[in-house]
Amino acid sequence: MSENDMLWMSAVVFIPAVFALLLIFVPRGKEDIMRWLSLAGTGLTLGVSIGAFILFYNNVIDFNRGNDPEARQRMSLEFRQSEYDGGGISAPTNSGDWISNYPWIDRFNIKYYLGADGISMPLVLLTTLLSFLAMIASWKIDKFVRGYCMLFLLLETGMLGTFLALDFFLFYIFWELMLLPMYFLIGVWGGPRREYAAIKFFLYTLLGSVFILIALLAFYFTDVRDFAGPRTKAEAVAAAKSDGRIVTENQVEIHSFDLVVLQRVGKAALQKLNDQRVTTSFAAIQAKENLGKLKRDKKATAEDLHNAEAKYQAALNDSGLKKRLEQAFFQPWFQYTMFLFLLIGFAIKVPVFPFHTWLPDAHVEAPTPISMILAGVLLKMGGYGIIRIAYPICPWAGQQLAYFVALFGVINIVYGAFAAMAQSDFKKLVAYSSVSHMGYVLLGIAVWSSPEHAQYWSWGMNGAMFQMIAHGITSAGMFFLVGVIYDRAHHRRLDNFRGLYEPMPLYGGISAIIFFAAMGLPGMCGFVGEFMVVLSTWNYNRIFAVLAALTVVITAAYILWTLQRVFMGENPQYKNYSDVSVREIVCILPLLILSVALGVLPGYLLLNWMEPSVTGLVDTLARFTP
Amino acid sequence: MMNLLLTFGEHPGWFFVVATLLPLLSFVLILLASALWCAGRAYRNTPGGAALFNLCGGEERGRTAAFVATGAIALAFVFSLVGCIRFSAQQHGFETAIKQHGKALHQIAAKIKETSGEAKEQLEAKARTEEEKLEDQEKRWADARKTNWQGHFDWLRISPKGIVDADSGTVLQLGFKIDSLSAIMFVMVTFIATLIHLFSIGYMSDELQPEVEDHQVHTAHGHLHRRGRFGRFFMYLSLFCFSMLNLVLADNLFQVFLSWELVGVCSYLLIGFYNERQSASNAANKAFITNRIGDAGFILGMLILWTHVGTFNMEELFQRVRAPLNDTHGAVEGVAGRIVRGNLDANNTTKAGQRFTIANDGSDVLLFPHRPSAHYHAIVPRVSDNPKPDQHGSMPYWMLVAAGLGIFLGCVGKSAQFPLQVWLPDAMEGPTPVSALIHAATMVAAGVYLVGRCYPLLTYDALLVIAYTGGITLFVAATIAVVMTDIKKVLAYSTVSQLGYMMLSLGVGGWVAGLFHLVTHAFFKALLFLGSGSVIHGCHHEQEMTKMGGLFPKMKITALTMLAGVLAICGIPLFTGWYSKDAILAQAFGFIYVHPQHLLLFLLPLATAGITAFYMSRMWLMTFTGKPRDEHVFDRAHESPWPMTVPLIVLGVCSVGIAWGWPVWDAEASFLEANVHHAQYPAILADFGHIDYSISEHHGEYWIAAKDEAQNERVFAYRNHHLAGNIAFVLVAIGIVFAGAIYWKRVLDPAEAKEQFPRLHAFLMDKWRFDRLYSVIFVRPCLTVGHWFAAFDLRAIDGVIHAVARSAMWVSKWDGLFDHYIIDGAVNLVGNTIYGMGARLRSVQTGFLRSYVLFLVLAAAGIFLALAYFVRMAMAG
Repeated sequence: MSENDMLWMSAVVFIPAVFALLLIFVPRGKEDIMRWLSLAGTGLTLGVSIGAFILFYNNVIDFNRGNDPEARQRMSLEFRQSEYDGGGISAPTNSGDWISNYPWIDRFNIKYYLGADGISMPLVLLTTLLSFLAMIASWKIDKFVRGYCMLFLLLETGMLGTFLALDFFLFYIFWELMLLPMYFLIGVWGGPRREYAAIKFFLYTLLGSVFILIALLAFYFTDVRDFAGPRTKAEAVAAAKSDGRIVTENQVEIHSFDLVVLQRVGKAALQKLNDQRVTTSFAAIQAKENLGKLKRDKKATAEDLHNAEAKYQAALNDSGLKKRLEQAFFQPWFQYTMFLFLLIGFAIKVPVFPFHTWLPDAHVEAPTPISMILAGVLLKMGGYGIIRIAYPICPWAGQQLAYFVALFGVINIVYGAFAAMAQSDFKKLVAYSSVSHMGYVLLGIAVWSSPEHAQYWSWGMNGAMFQMIAHGITSAGMFFLVGVIYDRAHHRRLDNFRGLYEPMPLYGGISAIIFFAAMGLPGMCGFVGEFMVVLSTWNYNRIFAVLAALTVVITAAYILWTLQRVFMGENPQYKNYSDVSVREIVCILPLLILSVALGVLPGYLLLNWMEPSVTGLVDTLARFTP
Repeated sequence: MMNLLLTFGEHPGWFFVVATLLPLLSFVLILLASALWCAGRAYRNTPGGAALFNLCGGEERGRTAAFVATGAIALAFVFSLVGCIRFSAQQHGFETAIKQHGKALHQIAAKIKETSGEAKEQLEAKARTEEEKLEDQEKRWADARKTNWQGHFDWLRISPKGIVDADSGTVLQLGFKIDSLSAIMFVMVTFIATLIHLFSIGYMSDELQPEVEDHQVHTAHGHLHRRGRFGRFFMYLSLFCFSMLNLVLADNLFQVFLSWELVGVCSYLLIGFYNERQSASNAANKAFITNRIGDAGFILGMLILWTHVGTFNMEELFQRVRAPLNDTHGAVEGVAGRIVRGNLDANNTTKAGQRFTIANDGSDVLLFPHRPSAHYHAIVPRVSDNPKPDQHGSMPYWMLVAAGLGIFLGCVGKSAQFPLQVWLPDAMEGPTPVSALIHAATMVAAGVYLVGRCYPLLTYDALLVIAYTGGITLFVAATIAVVMTDIKKVLAYSTVSQLGYMMLSLGVGGWVAGLFHLVTHAFFKALLFLGSGSVIHGCHHEQEMTKMGGLFPKMKITALTMLAGVLAICGIPLFTGWYSKDAILAQAFGFIYVHPQHLLLFLLPLATAGITAFYMSRMWLMTFTGKPRDEHVFDRAHESPWPMTVPLIVLGVCSVGIAWGWPVWDAEASFLEANVHHAQYPAILADFGHIDYSISEHHGEYWIAAKDEAQNERVFAYRNHHLAGNIAFVLVAIGIVFAGAIYWKRVLDPAEAKEQFPRLHAFLMDKWRFDRLYSVIFVRPCLTVGHWFAAFDLRAIDGVIHAVARSAMWVSKWDGLFDHYIIDGAVNLVGNTIYGMGARLRSVQTGFLRSYVLFLVLAAAGIFLALAYFVRMAMAG
């Protein structure tokens, strides 16, 4: 257990909430102080998250050892968790494993459990950065400033908690925590149809949450004692004995919300349902590791080896395990149902066709900074949930239904692009482009493959992660840019702009770069994710690959058409518009730099430290595929 | 500094890398300066703002930008030239040595046959030392290529299972590889670009004014006035030069694709340079979107190769797809350098793989290891399902065809070939120097270049498609050019037509001829475009030839240099076009001799040679000779200033002499062609010639054996170069005479011809109606589908949701009591304290909240039911 890591991660999550509380004490009418205080809060969070990232980078990633499998293993949460759970870590502080596990509600084995790996860390950084920039973009909001800032900061805590929580229950709490502030931020500070949009957003997301909640509870009723390590087991036994629920140790049942343990159970289900021998119980893993160690150890005698081998076989053939593998969790119907529940729950957030209609409304009505957060971070929570929860815990159903997931990804890509082309509202167009771009995320996740072709799936999954980050940057940028022009023209009708390049050359240049990045021009971030996903697709399904590749034409068409309608031509009406102000430049500059930098150096800036975690996940799932 | 120079000494390939990066540096500098300038402009009355403003060029920033960009590209030219010379010298040195040793070895081998006894042993010993020397030279040349002229690094890498090296499909690299073709391309691109930068300083000088009047845009208050954009023009040019050079530099398809898109976007930006003009912005969009259709094909081609071969590196791809030239047991005879087809025996599968039997019409293609071991079997009976780079594998033949065609589709878009040729004529909306550089000399030639580069990946079927595409394009474009009256449009169609020649040439095996024509065409077409630019500039932005005429005395330099260009493109002997175009015709002649069923592939280019001569002469004669057609234009016409005429003269000289060799009158002796020849892939000889194995094993260079001339296109082409050239020349002469009769002597009236064939004329003026066709079958359907989808969202999906919401509301009304006392109270409380909203709005809100709470209750009930169920299941389990 590592207090140091816990402190860092908890700080990242709760600093915004603390600042939200502080806002209460700012006297009425001092709105600038409220703004500055909120900005300080988001800024501090950004700083702390960068600090946490640097520590994380130094502790967890060891690139000096190149592609050493052991070094790469440290990037997987499972490895670090089992190290902790197997009692491997004795030093209580500063272990640098970037997981922290504290009992919270003992009766239900709910834990305050945070952890970071290459999948969550980039999203955390994206969240803190976008929150900071969105706060700058919120400067012009003057309605109920205190309420706005408090809700905004609360929202940030919710988002960050979702990305860092490793206990499903905790995850769910953060997930819901983020929902309510968002509802009010749209419903109170939005445009003319804000109530409608807010309610729509709320009901849609709530529907998803209910599905997730059912899955969460269903998982809890599985006895996972074979997949928990000695430490967890000992704790559970102690708790149960003190309650008087059990008499002997063998009677203990462990029910857990621990995502890492549940992932291990999911793998076992994958093996069992693919008619393979289940080798992922904790005892078997440990026995196998011992065996491997002995085999490498030259001093080991034949007898040692024999004993270790016998122990491994015993762990595999454990009769209790066999009996517990008959539980509902390991039945196809359960896997299918729970996977679908989770998928729908997260897909609504992504959003996936046909659950996407909340998005254009919510985006159009939300104020600019909230649109930035919505497109930049909230949509990613759906993708994150699928990668972190739906696929690893219900992998067998994921494998069976991969085709449909990919199909919906492709539908998203094509549908979103076409629908974007038909829009005449600037913001709605950007919203539909989000639908199209998030389709790549779903497609990349879904291109399941056999172990021999694992590299293709790995490109897909990595591409999906990269696409999430890239889309976070470009879509937030685009929404901000739409906001800039809305502040001047007070409308968003694409057909009524024209000729903005002449009065606002800097704005035009910045817009061109951000829009080209969204279009997927090489050398910018949008290209990398899309290309990685498309690279993986041909191996999975040729028709999908053809559709995804052809959509680049439609994407180019709607983006260029937009640029033409807004910036080209001439329009004396807008002759006197002022170019972007310093505040606006400060807000857009980081996004501008990132969208180019990530396109030029995707490996050094992101992929190299993200990839071991993502590829590790792909490996573990692909390995047990027939 | 010394270290840096030493680095260049050891790795001269870096000359080219630096040459590529220089324009990028210039682009970044100008971009940053312009951004800061824009930011500082608003604050230029404050001291800090003024300092920033002046630092970034102040009011003179345009001129500074032009100098930076021109300097960068000129320096890049110097670097390319030095690199090219060093490469050629090294190549020449090694190859001469290798040839000498090979010759000596051959002579000794001949002697050995005649002698016997001790003398024979001595000779054999001598042969062995000679062979060792030869091998040593070959090895040293291979090493030198690898260390001096190649390099790459990982851009993106994933490592499944921690295994890095043996897996295919895990890494995307960036890198460079120089051969004599890319070296020549580098010099050509940087040289022409430098001249065009210089020309632009003159041509675009209007843009230096703080306020420019655009005569083609009419507003309510007369013509449009806008700020000058001199700097922006040069910024785009710099970005283009970087992208183009990067495309040539690349050693892998992925990097080519990156540059491919970047040159596309530069082209887009420059076509839309006068973005206030509706026609310009439409043309820009059209160009980019049409190109993207090609790019989608390119992506698909890449995907196929990536999935089946697992690499984008071109050398590795070629080694995997084409049979090696030799193996330890001499087993490759008959298939060396070729794509080996065969069948997989599905019934004969072991763990090692499937059995592969060679058959000419097989459904699969054998993939070879790209890193063969010392003892090497090229042809093996077993192939692996999921081959690693060092194993034999196979892929379906049709997939390889599709991959080739996919990449070719990209080239079709970029090189404006049928059926994607529609964008290039519209692209003439851009400033004329841009038309010269991007839409004539370099970018549009990139498609041809890539087909040439990827030649080993192309199967016979794909090549045939390429040849026919080229054939159709060159004819269609030439016929349209005949009726065009806009001077730039004539040149645009002529470009499309010439690119068609190159494509056709590549398709029929004339690799050298096609790429040779690419280089010569770049010079004379750049010249022609710049010449037209000079005419347009001199005539105050008049582009219609129907308003010109008799301009020769007013602009002698322009007229004479353009005449050189016209003669070159017509293929008049001793002008550059003569060498390259006749080579293409000869190659096509050779091809139809062996494959008479493809007669069209010779007739189309032959006929088009005559048409080309006609419309090019027509253009020149209409512009410069006879009586002026429009006195107003004629009176104000003037010769252009020196920054414009100097490039014209330089390019004029190049158009005459760039392809010369010694003796000048020998069409086969071109020095440039010989240099292109060095880069030729063995695969081409394998497909369209014959490799003599007894020699090739030892020579490093592959000779055409004249064993079976009747079946050998290349040999035939070589023998009949002059015959094909002479036939073409007769047609060219007829074309020129015809044009002279109509437009110079004016003995025939073109209006009569127009009246005689009104429908044909209208058809040609309408560009074969391609634009209308595409509008009906692509553009409108896409928009319609978009509207359908948007309407589906609003009507169908949201309709369902609203219906659900309404029914929930209805249910909630039914539960009125509960609502009234508990919910409303709570909501009012929240509403008043947190966000006092209007009463009307609140009533809407509460209505929805009611349904929300109902929803929650229902959900909770559902959850509890589910819970109960799972508890039972868990207990049972």
